[in-house]
Amino acid sequence: MEPFHYLLVLLACLAITAPLEWVVGARVYRRPRRLTLTLVIAMTPFIVWDLVGIARGHWDFSSRYTLSIDLGGVMPLEELLFFVVIPICALLTHQAVLRLGARVWPRGRLAREARELGAVAPSTSEVEQGAPRA
Amino acid sequence: MPEYTLLTVLAIVVVVLLDLVVARTRLLATLGFWLALAIMWAFQIPVDGWLTRLDAAIVRYDDRHFSGVRLFLDSPIEDFAFGFAMVLATLMVWTVLARRERSSVEDAGPSLDGRRLGDDGTAG
Repeated sequence: MEPFHYLLVLLACLAITAPLEWVVGARVYRRPRRLTLTLVIAMTPFIVWDLVGIARGHWDFSSRYTLSIDLGGVMPLEELLFFVVIPICALLTHQAVLRLGARVWPRGRLAREARELGAVAPSTSEVEQGAPRA
Repeated sequence: MPEYTLLTVLAIVVVVLLDLVVARTRLLATLGFWLALAIMWAFQIPVDGWLTRLDAAIVRYDDRHFSGVRLFLDSPIEDFAFGFAMVLATLMVWTVLARRERSSVEDAGPSLDGRRLGDDGTAG
């Protein structure tokens, strides 16, 4: 199991946050275009940073705990997946905080932020689903 | 200053400036952002710890290139700054894209404006 250590923790992150999409109602996976664009734009500089860190010897990766599928001979596959999984967790967490906050305190600060940031935008989420208006 | 330390400071400055000056999402002034960050940081302790714990390190840091300060499960303190920059960058880009999508929807049809007003707590 040791070569799967890195991959397993990433899968655990996806598993733990999945209910935020399908129970709490965050719409992150269901906006694949926006999600893909976000990942490409926001993570490219961090991946470059990671490559610089590897090249400069800031860190390296244990071949014992990774699959040893090294992209370009330098970056383990899991490390690239890290830059997909963690931002997804961040988006799901933020959207879930806004949606839950708006649900618990409909006139509260999180509810206002949720509307401003489109996390509960009427034209996208509730209206599409045909949910009754309060 | 060690290079990883320097780069994390630089990354935070760049991402915060990008958000305040270029993207102008106002995320840093929202409660939701800080709550989400707090949750992400809390989960970073076991997740990053799984990667960095010295008795079974998946990612091995060279002590010469960071502050040497390790928190919780041997995670370099810089990792948490890295996390802040990564979370802010992600939410910033998502927010900008969402704003652009909504403004293009509004341009396409005025009928949606009425719905949006109707859902607004103050106007409805």
